[in-house]
Amino acid sequence: MAKKMKFSIYRFNPDIDKKPYMQDYDIELEDSDQMLLDALLRIKDFDDTLSLRKSCREGVCGSDSMNINGKNGLACVTKLSDLEEPVVLRPMPGLPVIRDLVVDMTQFFEHYNSVKPYLINNDAPPETERLQSPEERAKLDGLYECILCGACTTSCPSFWWNPETFVGPAGLMQAYRFMSDSRDQALEERLENLEAPDRLYRCHNIMNCVDVCPKKLNPSLAIAKIKDLKIKEAAHTKAASPARKLFGIKRL
Amino acid sequence: MILEILTKRYPGLRAWLLQRLTGLVIAIYSIGFFVRLLVLQPNSFEAWHAFFDPCWLRIATLLMWISLSEHAWLGVRDVLKDYVPNVRVRTVLTKLVAIVLWLYLAWAVWLLYSL
Repeated sequence: MAKKMKFSIYRFNPDIDKKPYMQDYDIELEDSDQMLLDALLRIKDFDDTLSLRKSCREGVCGSDSMNINGKNGLACVTKLSDLEEPVVLRPMPGLPVIRDLVVDMTQFFEHYNSVKPYLINNDAPPETERLQSPEERAKLDGLYECILCGACTTSCPSFWWNPETFVGPAGLMQAYRFMSDSRDQALEERLENLEAPDRLYRCHNIMNCVDVCPKKLNPSLAIAKIKDLKIKEAAHTKAASPARKLFGIKRL
Repeated sequence: MILEILTKRYPGLRAWLLQRLTGLVIAIYSIGFFVRLLVLQPNSFEAWHAFFDPCWLRIATLLMWISLSEHAWLGVRDVLKDYVPNVRVRTVLTKLVAIVLWLYLAWAVWLLYSL
């Protein structure tokens, strides 16, 4: 049975509009329109000037992340039946808007790249693959599944206030993903890379990241584990220890 | 180990750990203080004077005030960093907070050792 739904969508075309505005849509949906992305594509049938990103349509690519009724999420895995009307759609907060629901994610990926999200191993490559035990592999669960949609980082107030310096939950979770990889050899450098006061420690456990993650991951836990690792690493670093030299002590 | 972490070699870790350590000192002191308060229940100036008379309690109270000042400093500095983007205004506010905290600390020392 066809159903009508009301939408209020953020519109901004920098080539034409002086400032953004909200546009209302009253759309008749088909029975097959179950997810928010289906409705958005239905709207595009009537108004093809509406811009949004999409690709896989099944919560894997992370392209269609947006702010849905005040909370970040993926349009393709958000059920229309779960949404209150009018459904208010805005681009993800904290990033520059390119057009309508499309944001410029350059800064997000710069932070992601800054944690070197790849395996660093200086040993000669083995004949086949680098092996892991099932226990070592299990440590990556809950980390590798991140699809880099940006929902967590752009819902984080610490990122809103410190976008240039704070790496953000997505980048930090990927940093921890490689720190906990048994095949990686750059733990010390990775931890040192996050020592600047604003890169890691701007996280104040607000937990918006956990609340919005469409893959049900826990960036906040990963950040806490990085902080634990930093303490352990600092405790084991014996070289250049000014306190020991100053006080002439072995251990406190 | 703790002293090493609290050096300038770890600027981020130092602030984060200091905030937790000072929070721990405040929590432990508060519990001890309220237990002593429940046991002694001072209800006059003399009783309050006797309450704070032991040297160990004055040292503990001073340690708590130092921890409280440091804890407040780190917290308020973070809040100002987040919500006051103008560097000049933020510098003025940060210095004001530092002055107020030092004054409070001096006042606490005076109360503990002059009365």
